[in-house]
Amino acid sequence: MSDSATTTTAEAQSPLREAWIMFRRNKPALVGMAILSLIILATLYGAFIFTGDAYDIVWAPHEPPLVTPEFPLGTDYLGRDLVAGLLTGGAPTLAVGAAAAAITMVIGVAVGALAGFFGGWVDNALMRFTEFFQVLPALLFAMVLVTLFTPSLTMIAIAIGVVSWPQTARLTRAEFMKIKNLEYVTAARAIGAKNGRIMWRVILPNALPPLIVSATLTVGVAILFEAGLSFLGLGDPNTMSWGLMIGSNRADFLEAWWPVTFPGVMIFLTVFAVSLIGDGLNDAFNPKLRER
Amino acid sequence: MALLEINDLKVEFGTRYGPVTALDGVSLEVEAGETLGVVGESGCGKSITALSVMGLIPSPPGKIAGGSIKLGGEELIGLPDKRLRQLRGSDMAMIFQEPMTSLNPVFTAGDQIAEAIMLHQDVGKAEAFNRAVELLDRVGIPEARRRASDYPHQLSGGMRQRVMIAMAVSCQPKVLIADEPTTALDVTVQAQIFDLLNDIQRDFGTAIIMITHDMGAIAEMADRVAVMYAGKVIEQGVADDILDNPKHPYAQGLIACIPALGKGDAGRPPPLAEIPGVVPPLHLLGEGCAFADRCAHKYDACAKAPVLGGDTAHPVACHASAEARI
Amino acid sequence: MSVILEAKDLTVRFPMPRKSLFAERQHLEAVRSISFQLEKGRTLGIVGESGSGKTTAAMASIRLTGPATGAVEFEGEDLFTLDDEAMRKRRADIQLIFQDPYSSLNPRDRVSHIVQEPLDLLEIGDEASRKARVEELFKLVGLRPDQLNLFPHQFSGGQRQRISIARALATNPKLIVCDEPVSALDVAIQAQILNLLAKLQEELGLSYLFISHDLGVIRQVCDDIAVMYLGRIVEQASRDELFTNPRHPYTQALLAAAPSLARRKSSGAKRPQQLKGDPPSPINPPPGCAFAERCPLAEAVCKQMPPPLENGVACHVANR
Ligand SMILES: Nc1ncnc2c1ncn2[C@@H]1O[C@H](COP(=O)(O)OP(=O)(O)OP(=O)(O)O)[C@@H](O)[C@H]1O
Ligand SMILES: Nc1ncnc2c1ncn2[C@@H]1O[C@H](COP(=O)(O)OP(=O)(O)OP(=O)(O)O)[C@@H](O)[C@H]1O
Ligand code: SF4
Ligand SMILES: [Mg+2]
Ligand SMILES: [Mg+2]
Repeated sequence: MSDSATTTTAEAQSPLREAWIMFRRNKPALVGMAILSLIILATLYGAFIFTGDAYDIVWAPHEPPLVTPEFPLGTDYLGRDLVAGLLTGGAPTLAVGAAAAAITMVIGVAVGALAGFFGGWVDNALMRFTEFFQVLPALLFAMVLVTLFTPSLTMIAIAIGVVSWPQTARLTRAEFMKIKNLEYVTAARAIGAKNGRIMWRVILPNALPPLIVSATLTVGVAILFEAGLSFLGLGDPNTMSWGLMIGSNRADFLEAWWPVTFPGVMIFLTVFAVSLIGDGLNDAFNPKLRER
Repeated sequence: MALLEINDLKVEFGTRYGPVTALDGVSLEVEAGETLGVVGESGCGKSITALSVMGLIPSPPGKIAGGSIKLGGEELIGLPDKRLRQLRGSDMAMIFQEPMTSLNPVFTAGDQIAEAIMLHQDVGKAEAFNRAVELLDRVGIPEARRRASDYPHQLSGGMRQRVMIAMAVSCQPKVLIADEPTTALDVTVQAQIFDLLNDIQRDFGTAIIMITHDMGAIAEMADRVAVMYAGKVIEQGVADDILDNPKHPYAQGLIACIPALGKGDAGRPPPLAEIPGVVPPLHLLGEGCAFADRCAHKYDACAKAPVLGGDTAHPVACHASAEARI
Repeated sequence: MSVILEAKDLTVRFPMPRKSLFAERQHLEAVRSISFQLEKGRTLGIVGESGSGKTTAAMASIRLTGPATGAVEFEGEDLFTLDDEAMRKRRADIQLIFQDPYSSLNPRDRVSHIVQEPLDLLEIGDEASRKARVEELFKLVGLRPDQLNLFPHQFSGGQRQRISIARALATNPKLIVCDEPVSALDVAIQAQILNLLAKLQEELGLSYLFISHDLGVIRQVCDDIAVMYLGRIVEQASRDELFTNPRHPYTQALLAAAPSLARRKSSGAKRPQQLKGDPPSPINPPPGCAFAERCPLAEAVCKQMPPPLENGVACHVANR
């Protein structure tokens, strides 16, 4: 490549600011950011504007949308207001998704990094351990966990995290194995860097791009997983969530599509927005894509 | 008329800085039985020149923006794909720098050569395979019949390059382009490959275009030399003239900065001659001489691009040289 | 003259993956019992073909590769017996420059940070003095202060190699291992870097362990030279001796094969001597002299007994 810095002038900027400048250039990521912000704002503050209790039975069941002005999205099988449901159910859904993704990343990256970096028996032991979790039928295992303990949102997030980290671990391990043999890692060793520093400061930042993508996917998967559990009747029945809305209304889908469809659309939009943002973040933190 | 004539070739690439000119009016010719050496710094357009001849410029982002390439009188630019495919392999062939990646890992060496033969000649599988074995023997692979059923990963780098050469010469092409064929190989193996290429040329009268950045390789292999810089030919001539009497400041620097291999004598050798600076990136090339920033002989005339001219046997693109200021 | 680095009987064996569950594990002896001395302020060159063990030998001698046996003394101190923390401290004195200017710098770090990192890690000076040192180093290797905040990919190969050199110099080391520092560069840039290394050696009194496969480069920068073949040193001599009077047939072949401006096609010049074939595999190396298969002088004894390194050359015939 004919890249040369002889003619570039470097303006010094804080790394975060530079990342933000890059992020701003990425139109899809901005759209994702806008969608997600709207959703979060709505779930946090929507209830103040649109005052209605999601748990109250306020109208006849299965009122179609756009018929009664008070209930623009209609009501569910019990006659509860769907708008109130969507607004109240958002926060728990997002929280479960984010928490589960965080758990997945923490366990997955830690296990994968140690296995990939040290290799040998450490790798062997950790990978057997990972395989054990990987062959567990995820949904079944989560169901067992949730039924054994109380089906609270925390438990659901933990269950999802515990069954979905092996993939992240494998991905991290592969990246670490590849990168640890590159010369800049040897160079770090040669200037006296300790293993911990090499793993977290040198290798991890370079392993991040696929991990960020996988983390955003995990948020999506976790939200869907929660919906799946609720669909099977294993959600937390006392906390409204989009998953629970889908789960409890599924039986009547053929009579009334809306109580299932609207939460479904919200889940889709959230997952979509998160993955756009993930893409943008990945680019923003990649110095190679920055203007020369 | 020469066997291969490249005339005023222009190649452009679309980049994020807009279109850049990777080749800017390159003219070269090669006669049958002759080796033309092409030298120059990384990125100066050597490979792009070779790929243009083969009709293999990646497009997009690349495109041939002008000029002509004639092989045995036939214009290659704009030729339909079908005809180009016929010519590739039979009339012109190319060997690449990386012998590790230019062979298909899932076929044996013999099969790949046989495949190349069957593509251009009307022979059966068994016959083609026998020819492949002969060729492997010809390029100096010991136990050719056994080696023919080896997969590329079972061969050393030098042997892979021999297989590539066997494949390239399987149909006795008129022009063989070797793009840095020995850069990835050890010197002892490189010497073997050079001898092999010279033998092939002697036996078949093949014209060879030898791309390299190594002046030593030029001395051993080339009859004539073209020196390239930033997409242009800046000096051209008989190998001995270029090596003993380079006219362009860049060519002079290129030859002077090679660490000599002579006998050791007491004390350290003096510092090497240096060409300061780096090649400017294509998108930042200005109006004037592309070498001006690095040139010790620069003067006001250099603000305009010099053209290749002067002595027809040894033309050079440099104002200072043309006006005898060097 | 005092010796700064001395390797004694250095051997590196890599375990190979088993072919099958029950197969015996094979080993690859990348470096086989080599010994050398590097004198303070001088340059010891290691030359040899790809896979001959140059990198492994150099890395082992500064304890950067795993399973090495033998001994390495740095300023009289045995590196292999140091504990990890003491070795880490010692690293300030021993630095490294790599071949590939593209993979030897962390692509996610700013170059100023790359150069400053050794100072941070070894806790040398305070933040302000480290920053000042980085700027000073930049000037020393011929980079501009306005390039401090760029990322590695924004530099050309030669400039990156300058950054590597600045990083290596940060801690004021005494020894720098240069593993083919110019092999990936164009000749014009190669000359710049070689001159820079020579200048720095002169000014700072550095010692270099310098690896290359290019005899021209070796002759330009090295005072003493070790020629390696299949994990062994086959000839060891001063520059003058090696280039005027190469004694091992492999050294002679290397010199003969190296391209030279003097050997012209026009005059029909031919290489005096031509080696056939490739080096043997380092797994199960031949019992005798590793070069015997390709050697024009080989005799019966060469295939049976490994020649000892005597009078600076390991060859039955040359030592007669
Ligand atoms: N796909 C592409 N897109 C954009 N620019 C390209 C592309 N391929 C080549 N170029 C540009 O064309 C120019 C010539 O490239 P070329 O590969 O011919 O160089 P070269 O002389 O063969 O160098 P080297 O010695 O490194 O092989 C370079 O500056 C390169 O940046
Ligand atoms: N980590 C490793 N595991 C197994 N084998 C290795 C390892 N590193 C090197 N080797 C082998 O050891 C031998 C010597 O390798 P080394 O890299 O030291 O050679 P070199 O002389 O530096 O070659 P080059 O010129 O290609 O850099 C080679 O056969 C190589 O395949
Ligand atoms: S034209 Fe001018 S700048 Fe270009 S090489 Fe000649 S003297 Fe130097
Ligand atoms: Mg090229
Ligand atoms: Mg090496």
